[in-house]
Order: sequence, then C-alpha cells, then structure tokens
Amino acid sequence: MKQYRKYLDPVFLSKLGNMDLVARCAVEGFFSGLHPSPFHGFSVEYSDHREYHSGDELKFVDWKVFGRSDKLYIKQFQQETNTTAYILLDSSQSMAFAGNGGVSKFKYGCFLAAALSYLMLSQCDSTSLILFAERVTKRIGAQSKRTHLNTILAALQNSKPAGQTNLAGILRTIAETTKRRGIIILISDLLDDEADIYEGLSHLKFVKHDVIVFHTMDHQELNLDYEGLIQFEDMESKARMRTFPQSLRQGYRQRVAEFLNDIERTTGNCGIDYCLLDTSKPLDRALVAYLAKRKRLM
Amino acid sequence: MSFVEWTFLFGGLAVAGPLIAHLLARPRFRRLPFTMLRFLHTGQIESQSRRKLRDLLILLLRCAIIVLIAMLFARPLLHVSGDPGQTGSVFFLGLDNSMSMAYSDADSSYFDKMVDSAVDFIRTAKADPAAPVFNVCTLASGDWARNLTAEQALAHIKTIGVEQDSADVGEFLSGVSQASRAQHAGAEISVAVFSDFTPNVLRQLISTEEPVAVAEIEHRQVGSSRSVDNAAIVDAHVAGFADGMLSINAAVANHGQIEQNRRLTANARTESSPAVEITLPANQRRIYQVQIDLGAAGQEQQFLPVELSLSGRDGLKEDNAFYLGVSVPGHKDTNVLLVGDSANEMFLVKTAADTLSRTNPYDTFNIRSVLAGDLVQSDFAWADVVICSTIAERLSYLSASVQTFVSAGGRLICFLTETIAEEAARQLWQRGVLAALPGNCVHGPMYPESKPRDSRAFGVDNLAAKSLTNYRVDKILLKGYLECKGHADSRCLWQLQNGCGFIYLKRHGRGTSILVNTSADDSLGLLTKSNASVAFCRYLLGESSRVSEHSFVRNERVTLPIPEPQASSGERRQFWVETCDGRKRRAAVTDSLLLVPDPMGIGWVKTVGKPATYAGVNLPQGETDMARPAAGELASVMDRVFPVDVDKEAAQAGTFDGTQRRAIWRIIAWLIILLLLLEPVVANRLKR
Repeated sequence: MKQYRKYLDPVFLSKLGNMDLVARCAVEGFFSGLHPSPFHGFSVEYSDHREYHSGDELKFVDWKVFGRSDKLYIKQFQQETNTTAYILLDSSQSMAFAGNGGVSKFKYGCFLAAALSYLMLSQCDSTSLILFAERVTKRIGAQSKRTHLNTILAALQNSKPAGQTNLAGILRTIAETTKRRGIIILISDLLDDEADIYEGLSHLKFVKHDVIVFHTMDHQELNLDYEGLIQFEDMESKARMRTFPQSLRQGYRQRVAEFLNDIERTTGNCGIDYCLLDTSKPLDRALVAYLAKRKRLM
Repeated sequence: MSFVEWTFLFGGLAVAGPLIAHLLARPRFRRLPFTMLRFLHTGQIESQSRRKLRDLLILLLRCAIIVLIAMLFARPLLHVSGDPGQTGSVFFLGLDNSMSMAYSDADSSYFDKMVDSAVDFIRTAKADPAAPVFNVCTLASGDWARNLTAEQALAHIKTIGVEQDSADVGEFLSGVSQASRAQHAGAEISVAVFSDFTPNVLRQLISTEEPVAVAEIEHRQVGSSRSVDNAAIVDAHVAGFADGMLSINAAVANHGQIEQNRRLTANARTESSPAVEITLPANQRRIYQVQIDLGAAGQEQQFLPVELSLSGRDGLKEDNAFYLGVSVPGHKDTNVLLVGDSANEMFLVKTAADTLSRTNPYDTFNIRSVLAGDLVQSDFAWADVVICSTIAERLSYLSASVQTFVSAGGRLICFLTETIAEEAARQLWQRGVLAALPGNCVHGPMYPESKPRDSRAFGVDNLAAKSLTNYRVDKILLKGYLECKGHADSRCLWQLQNGCGFIYLKRHGRGTSILVNTSADDSLGLLTKSNASVAFCRYLLGESSRVSEHSFVRNERVTLPIPEPQASSGERRQFWVETCDGRKRRAAVTDSLLLVPDPMGIGWVKTVGKPATYAGVNLPQGETDMARPAAGELASVMDRVFPVDVDKEAAQAGTFDGTQRRAIWRIIAWLIILLLLLEPVVANRLKR
C-alpha cells in the first residue's frame, strides 16, 4: 500500500459512503447525477438500452441495433456531472502549528482535502487541488478520472508547509484564473488581513463559485491553555513575545471568539458556507457533521 | 558597630546562594512557536521592567535576610555615646557565705579567709585607672549589691556573714549574664568567685547549661592546709514507738579526713536518750539508732522537739545537730455503740473495730451492741461513736439526747434503709442532727430511673473511697433508692453520677453526724453487712492515731500539723508560728496543715500557743561536705561556665573613647521577622 493511501483509510471512507455532496445551484446542473450542473457534460459512457418511445430524440437511437434487430432502441448513458471542485489548501508556515504535539493544521487539512477529493471523484466531479502560501505552490488541474485521485494524493503527500500567508491575493488569483464555475473549498487558518480575506471570498462568490470555507484551528489557538512562562515565536513573521499565558487567557479567548464570529457572520452574509474545525477533534466527525448539514440545506 | 562572634559574619557569604540562583535560575521562558500573536499583543501584557524590578526586590530581600541572620549570630554591638559610669571594668564578685564556710580550724574560719581574699582582690582591682564598678553577690542568700565603688564594696563585704543555708550559684550566674547583655554590654566584665567549692557548689556549676562569656575569670578556692575535721548528722527518722520508747534512726556522715569518735544523743525536752558511741572512719556514712524513754508521758498526746546532737568538737558545729519534730499520739479509748434491729446485724462493723483496736497501739475501741428498741439516754453518755444500722423509731424519743451527744463532740453514723422511721428522721432533721433528710420524708420514696454508672468522692479519704469502690454501688442499685435532701450546713462527700448523694457529713462543733444512703442495697444486704464496711469502718470511726515526724531542709516548704483542739473543731482562724530566728509570723492554713513562711535559718519552727507543734529545719544533705575538688577539675569547670571572651577584651579598647556598646540583636531579630513576612508577599505579587 502506497504511503499516500493512508488518506483514504477505508474506515474513514466507509463513514462517508452514503453521503453525497450536493451543490447548491441546482438550476445549472444536469439532471443526471446528483449534482445539478450549469453545463452539459463532454464525455458519456454507455450504461444501458431501452425501447424507443415517442418523443425520444432520434439522435439517441442506436441504429446498429436497429439494423440487426429491426427494433428501435435508445442508448442510455451514465451522465457525468460537470461540477468542478477546487480544493484550496493553505500550506503556509502557520499551518504547520501543532499545539500539543498532535496533528498539525496542515496535516489535518491534507486529510480533509484527500477525503473530499475521493468523494468528489467518486461522484465523477472534476477535482482540482491548489496548494498555496504567498503564492500558488502547487496546482493540479481539474479532472474527473478516478486515477486523478492518485495525483492529488501524491501532491498532498509531498507538500510541506512553508512561507507566509497571502490569502487575499491567492483568492483574487483563483477568482481571476478559474473560468469554470465550481465549488471552491478553502482549507485554511485564515490568518491574514480579515478585510482582504472577505474581499477575496466575495470576489469568488461574485464569479458564481460556490464557496465552502473549512477554518482549521488548533485547540491551543482556540483556548490558549499554556501554563508558565512562555516565549511565543510567530511561525511566519518570527516575531517574539514573552508572557504569562494564564494572565492573558481570558482576553485572548474573547478576542478569538470575536474573530471567529466576524468570519462566520461575514461569510454567512456572502452566502458562503463556513465550518470551524478543531484539529484536536476527529476529522471524520467534523466532515460528516458538515456534509450532513449540506445535505439538509439541499 | 562591632561583633562579639565576628566569625559568624562569614555566614554572610551565603548570599552567593540567592545571587547565583537569581542569575542561573532567572525566569526561564519556554520557547513555543505560535501563530496568533496578534491576539496576544492586544492583551494586557505585564511590563517586563516591572517584573525585573520585582525580581530584584526579592533578591535583595533574601540577601538581606541572610546577612541579618549572619549578623545576629555574630552578636553585634552598637557604638553609642557612652555614659562614663558604664564604661571601664565591671567586676562581679560571688562570695560564698553558705554554712560550709563557717568551718574553722586552728588557722581561722573559711569565711574569714574568703573575706580577706575578696578584700585583696578589690584593692588590686581598685588600682585600675578606669574607675572599676563592683557588683557583689552572696551565694547563700542570692542578694546583690550593685554598682559599688571599691570603697563601697569593701564596706559591704564587712557586713556579710555566714548564713545557715546552702550556696546557690544560679542567682549569681543569671545576674552576671543579664548584666553583661544589657546594663554592662560592651564593658569589660571580670568575674571572681570566692568559695570552698564543696561538691554541692561544684555540682551546680557542672550542671550549668548556659555559659557566661566574660573578659576575665578568677576563682579562689578557700580552704585550709590542714585535714578537714567534720562530722554531721545528715538525716533522722522515727523508727518506732512502743511502750513509751521512741526510737530514732540517725544518719551520721564523716565529711572529713579524720576518724570521728563521737557520742550521739537525742534530747526531747527533759528526756534524753542514752549516748551512742560512734566511731566513724573518714568519708563514711552510717546509721545509728537512739531511743528516748518517754515513760508515762508517752500515754498522752505530745508534740516533741527532738534534737539529735553529736558531742565533741570539729570544724563546723552547726551540722552536729539535727532537728526533728515528732508528734506522739496519746492513748485514746473510744467507746463505740452499735445500734441495730438484731444482735448480729453489726457483726462486721464490730469485727472491723476490734481489728483496728488491736493493730493500733494508740487507739482502743470499746464496743457495745444494743438493740434499737433498748436504746436509752445513758447509752449516749457512754458512747463516743454511735453507729445506727437504720434510723429507728426509738430515736424519735431520744432526739434531744442525740442532739446533745453530737454537740458534745460525739460522732453519729446513720445508715439509711428503706424502712426508716420517718418520724424519728424528721425530728432529728429538725434538730439539725441529721446531715440529710431521706427522700420519703420529703415527698415519698423516689426511685430514679437511671442506674448510676459511677460515683465521685469529695473529701473522703482514700481508704474510705477505696472501700466504697469495693462496695460497687453501681452493681447493687437495682431497685432505685431514696434521694436525700442535704442540710444547708452539711457536705455531700460522695455523690453518684446522677447527682444523688451517697454520704452526707455535718459538723456540730467537735461532733459529727454522718448519713450513709444505703437505702437501695436491700437486695444484697446493708453496707453494714458487706465487706466494704470493714474498710469503711475506719473512716466512720474517725482518723486513727499514729506517730508523725516533721523534719525539713532549708529551702523546702515547711508545714506544721494544726494542733488540737483546733484541728478537730474545724475552726478556720489565724495561726501564728515562731520561725528559727525567733520571730512570729502568720501561717497559711490548708485543710490539715499550716504552711510556714521562710523559716529564716535552721532550728525549730513551732506554733504559738499551747499545745505547740514543732518542725525541724536542717541543712540540706551534703552542704557541709568538705571534700575538695581537684584544682584541674575546678579550673576546667570554671572555664566552661565562664568562657573568656577575647572579643570582650578587644571591645574594651573601644570603651575608652567615650563610647558605649549596646547589643542590638533584638532589632536585627525583628528585622529578620519583618523581612521574612515581606518576602512571600512580594513573591506572590510576582506570580500574580
């Protein structure tokens, strides 16, 4: 078993088996498939034959069968949806943070991206993976082939968090360079200028993308449970600060809560789905909870 | 400022500890990567400079505590502008004027030699240009004469005399110690002790726990070049008294180096014992018995001042006598009348009284039993003690006689049964004879529900209490009992735990009436029929007579028996006693003894008035032991008790510049306490 296959743990995937990711904008989808797509698909795969009924389009009549059996049969195809999912995974240095020596935010994001990729590709959605920090460091184009999953997983496996965050710029770039509408899945700690982030997300929404934000946060980032004298060192800017966390804990939690509330409120106002994920909590549970919520929305 | 024990100042180097700890163990910040620093920056961040200031403050506090502790051990002296009277040399002279110093031989007495030696010492010290100050303490009495000039000290010494007491160096040592710490701190303190250094004095010096540092110590052992010639009667006790013959065992010790051939005699007023010839080798102690024939006088109660004496001469005559006060009880016939409903009801009481009569040579109990119905007035005229197994009906007719009986000094004991004659009890109660009124005469029989588990005695002697313990009232009180109402003048001597009285006693001048509440023991028999009655009988019949002796040593609390008839009458009035110096003083009174104030010497202490009771006051054992300590041993002991303080000598240099040095250890101790309290406050503040 290859190393990257760990992202597709069968136990984890079995929990996602009956879950379908349903896009919000149904009017633009095709009827086949669960994803309503705004465009017709380009590729078709044979599925079955059925007898011709009046009203059926003649172009779907299988004339070869008619020549052999002198009966009209219609060729049925399994219609692939044309929904394209763009998974944007923040690979800046801040994502390498692991508060209590557990799973770093980046690893957590990788698990989540892999799971989503598998899910998308299982539904024959085109899936693209974009790793970014200050700029886009890795970009895997959108494909719907099942083998594409290996490419995505290998990219996740080989990537390392580095560099500073330039989330707003990245979002603008994605909005400008992505011509096809799709689902933008942003996995990030959102540690950038808040106004720029909102602007970037709004830009994506403006070009009709369906945006989902997975806000990954470490438990220590949320609660600041450190004790004793600590010199904090910023992972990106390398700025230092000596303090007694216990004396700051209450104010810190309050400000973080305000920050999270602002993001949730702003994304909600823009019609963007927002999900806060605590890296200390199981990934599958968080994902299942989110998908269940999506299903209810649909 | 100077220091007595300056070497302790090296302890101040221990400040290196907190300094190193401060440098090495400064607050260590754990380095942690973090991402959301901007959320921390806006919070309340403690000022680094403020924290450093606190760290520094704690460091300074801890260093100060260490330095102050080192200074405290170094015993600092503060230089202040001096009082000229407190500078210069201060001499503390300890003069032994105890009894042993009265020893004299052909040369002269020890005391005279000591005075000469002290005078020489003072005259030598007087030559000091710094106007020395003298403090003189007499070791026997512990009296101080302070801040004397040389002339005053010489004059004072002339007034000192030998006291009939033992030497006590404790007062002298504490006086020197206090003065060196406070009054004469910084001055050069010289101590000189003049004594014969008997084993008694040496023992006290050896047992001294707190040495007194001085600048100079001198001890002069007063003695004689001749062999010590001294024997003493060190102890005496009454060995027995029979047939008018008083036997006394006397312990005689030869404290000298010369064999003693003496004669021991005992004198009791006009009577003298035959002389006992004594041959006692050197440093030996033996016991001899002397007997005094008191003859017919021995049949009467007497308080005898017995003086034992050794004939012949030795160096110290005061210890050739021993004073022993002896109380010889007179022969006493006691008529006991047993009143019961049947002939053998009082069998055990009668047996107990017979036994007591045989065992005690001074008391004879004449016992007569009479049935309650046959009791007549003349019976009370005959009896000294009347014991009634119950309150019989007959007593109602004889209540006046009973009242007369107890008023005249008779002793009436009534046991309480369930079948008492109420009329008789009420009449006796109305006449004030009964110590308590039985319950059925108050408001019918009372049967308290709870069974008493224990009882308490108040004023019952040990023997009676023990006998009543055997009686096991807790076991026999099965049916309840009569609760008695005590008379206003009576005392409840024995009380059950539930509050019910068991024994009531009422005094009628010299007479006594006792009521024993045995109302409930019908199930097992009356107290008068139980084994407890045998032991209890002695209490009921009154105190037995016995020979007692009263001999004390100096410094002991002297007590005297309260002479008859005051003792039996129970009157509490002032008692005057004559002490050894012939002065009359008032004695404190306890239940059965007189507490005599300081007897002021050795000899006799006696009560004023007749009959007089005596107590002898003697020298403590060993006080006149003349054994001389080895010179080396004595020097070693003195050096340990009075270690010469070189710093005192060095400090003396500072006293000539008009300054005085005062110990400031109290200030430093308080500073340390203050800093110790302050340190955790600052430390906690840092953590906050």
